[in-house]
Amino acid sequence: MVRATRNLRSVTNENDENTAATTARVTRAKAAALNVDELSMPSKPLQTKKATGAVANPARKRNVLGDVSNVTKAEVADGKKPAARTGLVSKAAQPTGIKKTTSTRSAVTTKEASKKTETKRSGPGSIVAQKRKMMKTKEPAATKEEAPEEGEPIRKKVHTSEKDENAQTDVKQEKPATKEPVVSPGPEAAAPRHRPPTPEAAKILDSEDLDDPLMVAEYANDIFEYLRDLEPKSVPNPQYMAHQDDLDWKTRGILIDWLVEVHTRFHLLPETLFLAVNIVDRFLSEKVVQLDRLQLVGITAMFIASKYEEVLSPHIANFRHIADDGFTEAEILSAERFVLATLNYDLSYPNPMNFLRRISKADNYDIESRTFGKYLMEIGLLDHRLMGYRPSHIAAAAMYLARLILDRGEWDETLAYYAGYTEEEIQPVVLLMVDYMARPVIHEAFFKKYASKKFLKASIIARQWAKKNAPLYGITNTQLTLDEIS
Amino acid sequence: MDGKRHAASFQQLEKLGEGTYATVFKGRNRQTGELVALKEIHLDSEEGTPSTAIREISLMKELKHENIVALHDVIHTENKLMLVFEYMDGDLKKYMDTHGERGALKPHVIKSFMYQLLRGIDFCHKNRVLHRDLKPQNLLINNKGQLKLGDFGLARAFGIPVNTFSNEVVTLWYRAPDVLLGSRTYNTSIDIWSAGCIMAEMFSGRPLFPGTTNEDQIIRIFRIMGTPTERTWPGLSQFPEYKTTWQMYSTQPLSTILPQIDPLGIDLLQRMLQLRPELRISAADALNHQWFADLIGQSGVPVQQQSSMSSQIPGQPQMMPPPYGQVPSQVGYGGY
Repeated sequence: MVRATRNLRSVTNENDENTAATTARVTRAKAAALNVDELSMPSKPLQTKKATGAVANPARKRNVLGDVSNVTKAEVADGKKPAARTGLVSKAAQPTGIKKTTSTRSAVTTKEASKKTETKRSGPGSIVAQKRKMMKTKEPAATKEEAPEEGEPIRKKVHTSEKDENAQTDVKQEKPATKEPVVSPGPEAAAPRHRPPTPEAAKILDSEDLDDPLMVAEYANDIFEYLRDLEPKSVPNPQYMAHQDDLDWKTRGILIDWLVEVHTRFHLLPETLFLAVNIVDRFLSEKVVQLDRLQLVGITAMFIASKYEEVLSPHIANFRHIADDGFTEAEILSAERFVLATLNYDLSYPNPMNFLRRISKADNYDIESRTFGKYLMEIGLLDHRLMGYRPSHIAAAAMYLARLILDRGEWDETLAYYAGYTEEEIQPVVLLMVDYMARPVIHEAFFKKYASKKFLKASIIARQWAKKNAPLYGITNTQLTLDEIS
Repeated sequence: MDGKRHAASFQQLEKLGEGTYATVFKGRNRQTGELVALKEIHLDSEEGTPSTAIREISLMKELKHENIVALHDVIHTENKLMLVFEYMDGDLKKYMDTHGERGALKPHVIKSFMYQLLRGIDFCHKNRVLHRDLKPQNLLINNKGQLKLGDFGLARAFGIPVNTFSNEVVTLWYRAPDVLLGSRTYNTSIDIWSAGCIMAEMFSGRPLFPGTTNEDQIIRIFRIMGTPTERTWPGLSQFPEYKTTWQMYSTQPLSTILPQIDPLGIDLLQRMLQLRPELRISAADALNHQWFADLIGQSGVPVQQQSSMSSQIPGQPQMMPPPYGQVPSQVGYGGY
């Protein structure tokens, strides 16, 4: 019992990641000044899309999918997509209707730049430069004080260690490049959820919780059963990019990486990030979004997720500001209503954090493996190939791999029971996670977040492990980035 | 729930109540004639859709149960959001005022209401939802004797272990001692404390702990339940609101405070009103308490009702409270 209490405290502390959140609240002066009824505004960003063709209603989806002129798709597969991409924040001057033919200027340069650097070396620097062009994050004035801790010094450290890594691995990776992803994920085949009988050890673990109100022991099994029932309903369509003619997986990756950064800046709960990304993907599963509106979708998703999860959600002015004032508050509010209506107000997403903590319980609440588990679980946000898997499956794979990296012994039946997955069932997801980590870093903010001391340098250590062990998983060709193989 | 219906599909009738962020009207579906409750949420706030509304809608869409008021539809209008709920004739507060003897209800009515209340709570908890604002005003009653949980504006989903929450929840009189002491890691047991307070109130017609401030609320609880010590409640001194200056009260037997309750009822109440949250009975266990033994027939339907109800819904615990026809139509309630 003493042990359990101590461990629990550490779990709770971990949740206090956002205790500083209150300091991040910017004054509402500006927001108050902007008390505009968004409906009287001439431009209703997402709603008007129907007319302009930027956001089509589901009825239009078929058109989009069957659009023969959608040449870019084939070219993406070939890895030489024409860079008719406009910067995500450069939307202001864009006429909404015309998409691909306009403004190749900024996009061409970024694309070219990235190509060059990617072939040379795959450090994060070039990607950062490129990414910064596409999606700038303006430091919110009020949150600056907490930025330094995870700011420059770490970035430097990351860069050097990253270079070292590349130096080491460049030698190994001399096989000719193929365009195909090494791992073919295959969407979650709605794996039948068979429940193994409760192992004795698990029974004992459960009974320990009876004295602990935080574990809600009498309802734990009901609740996890319920969450697993809910899971399939909240999984986005992993093929939605097929109907997005203005977006690709790379731009989505840039958006999610930026959201990781926003989430860190605002000191929000881990749950909020997972919910926000789920909102983005479920929305994109339903609606066609123009590139210059993608960031609005992202920031709105974070705004909604904060309202749902946080005790105190940051004010809208913070969201406007962190998106570099690229959108007005009226636009964000209007987008909020449109996103909520599109999702039918259904935010009952079984958050993978719930499953991670559940498994961690059978792992003695080991802080190290849970921290690595969190890093690995967030790969599931950035690597679109993991989108079709259930949150519980991602959580199981993350904890499994974390324990493997840290050499914490076998995946015994107690762990399998709490995770709900056997070692064998976990493998496909683990394979994708290793594959992601063995490739060059393209999601800089995500990498940096977990390179910090607070997160035990999980991203650095886990990636070193992945590069070393990838061949054991049959993953040999890792020079290409995720974007290049997507 | 797909927004196909419009505000115009409903005829707006009299105002039923005014909540913190919404106004509730009685309404009639123009096509079907069905009565509904229309909860209008104003969206002109600079922060957009209130988090309370986002949580309420999302959670209530999940919680489909006969003891939870049903959310039929969500309708957007220009600057407001309209939630369409099933119509209920009144709330428990008004019901006690109009049907009770100085507020006190008949024991068999109380038993039925308590059973339905606990079923609703149990369903919420199994679906990892804390209501966090149970009080007579938020329990809706219809003229079939059904009781349903309403107003999920403060509700939220919880994880395991339970996350840190705000302690600004639950109307003072029904607030659990651990929350009053500043706990932010409360769990399902806070809803049980509220249910215990409501049970006592139905018997006596008066709120059990009608405190005026946080401190006054704590003292009122201690005066009856006894002042806890680190010995009776390990960890007590760690609470933010712990005071070494509390006057030491001894525990009063609930049977002297509430002589109108039978011994089995007292036993259940005692289990619900435990100061220490971990000792409070769960809703699931409370439903199996002996006190309800004479209520449940073989099919889970209250015995009294099986013989006497004419329009009975299968599986629905029902009672025969006085007919609702006499209730004045201006019955107000904030229960949606």
